Amino acid sequence: MPQFLTNKRLIILLGSIIILVALIGFSIRDRGNITWPEKFVKDVTGFGQNIISKPVSVVEEFFDNVGRLRNTYEENEKLRTNLDKLAQLESDVIRLEKDNVELRKLLEKEESLADYEPVQATVIARNPDRWYDLITIDQGESNGIEPDMAVMTASGLVGKVKSTSKFTSTVQLLSANDAQNRVSALIQSDKSNYGLIEGYDEEKRMLKMTKIPSDAKVEKGQFVTTSGLGGVFPKGLVIGKVMDLVPDEFGLTQTALVEPAASFYDLEHVMVSKRTMTEVLPKEESRQQVLIEEEGL
Amino acid sequence: MKKGLLPLLMIALFYSDSIFMIFFPENAFDGAYIPAPHFFIIGLLFMSVFYDRNAAIKYGFLFGFLFDLFYTELLGAYLFFLPLIVYITSKLTKWLQSTFITFFIIILFDIALFEMIVYGLNLLVQRTEVSFEPFVSMRLYPTLALNALYYILFAIPLRNAFQKLKNIFG
Repeated sequence: MPQFLTNKRLIILLGSIIILVALIGFSIRDRGNITWPEKFVKDVTGFGQNIISKPVSVVEEFFDNVGRLRNTYEENEKLRTNLDKLAQLESDVIRLEKDNVELRKLLEKEESLADYEPVQATVIARNPDRWYDLITIDQGESNGIEPDMAVMTASGLVGKVKSTSKFTSTVQLLSANDAQNRVSALIQSDKSNYGLIEGYDEEKRMLKMTKIPSDAKVEKGQFVTTSGLGGVFPKGLVIGKVMDLVPDEFGLTQTALVEPAASFYDLEHVMVSKRTMTEVLPKEESRQQVLIEEEGL
Repeated sequence: MKKGLLPLLMIALFYSDSIFMIFFPENAFDGAYIPAPHFFIIGLLFMSVFYDRNAAIKYGFLFGFLFDLFYTELLGAYLFFLPLIVYITSKLTKWLQSTFITFFIIILFDIALFEMIVYGLNLLVQRTEVSFEPFVSMRLYPTLALNALYYILFAIPLRNAFQKLKNIFG
């Protein structure tokens, strides 16, 4: 094929393959945030996306609401029964919160791993390529959002901020397949069992929680929350419920299948949590105590 | 004023993929099928045949770059393979007579090729662990079906739009 691959075409082809490999290598490298030209392009594209997707979302929400109207009666019945319990629960929460603050003051530990400030955001785009679960939200650096912050909906954790630009940020959902995306989690029971949320089972649509000690007693239906030990996410965000427990391949630890509490589909509004306490380890003088506590775990 | 029509059309096509994703209930079919919209690629291929090939390659390059940056964060994939697909299409349409039916088959072939390239790339960078068989049944067939439907609905308006634009500029 002499005329198909002329010298000029060959050079263009080889040149672009080199550029392709370099660009891919550059983008999958473990980097803190994207570079400023990328941020600029993201802001410009995000601006257009914002203009287009906001009215579209309004229309979509309208149809959603019309669809929901049909089940209103049943929903109302169900909610009414829940409401009675809620009053009691609410007063308990208020009392416990107050207790907590007072006890913390007593201990002189006013900051907690569980503290965070929520930032409301609207989802403006979802990766149409659908290979990798990324969504774009309409809040960025100007609202104090930084990479690695936890992103959640009202029902639970959905992912973390992958990169930010001035006015938009990209969120990587927990369902995205990324070996580097580990979330330190705990299973709530009398004695908390720690593990790592690591990976997503596409077929069963459940999160995999690994590295649970083999002697841990875990029951189906127990809640899984973030532990706050990873240094990134605040403590106590709901991730989901344990559905199944299997020993791992070497039998040293166990793996739990966790049904996510939040749906990763049809996200519209999310919250980004700015964790107020970023250091897991307290200041020098009280470190000794933490070490002793950790040994006990 | 008229000079802006072509970029405007391409920008609209660019955002149409994500608008579709807003409307499309993602857990339709209980998540068993994952159809991905490739409306921009279809538009680009119409542009390459009914408007101008070299302009389509440039647009593919530019919007591919935007796509990579804004949506996938995997730089290079769309940037490089969109122009390639346009190039392949222009060669194919030269050999085959360009009717709606042959063009339909060419576009489906292109989208299948593109999906497979992107699948291979994602496998390579470990963004997915899906093996080939489930990829074909879960992604490839539904994607082809969705884009075939789009082609059937929008082939004539798209052709008319690009022919009109060509009459204005060409």
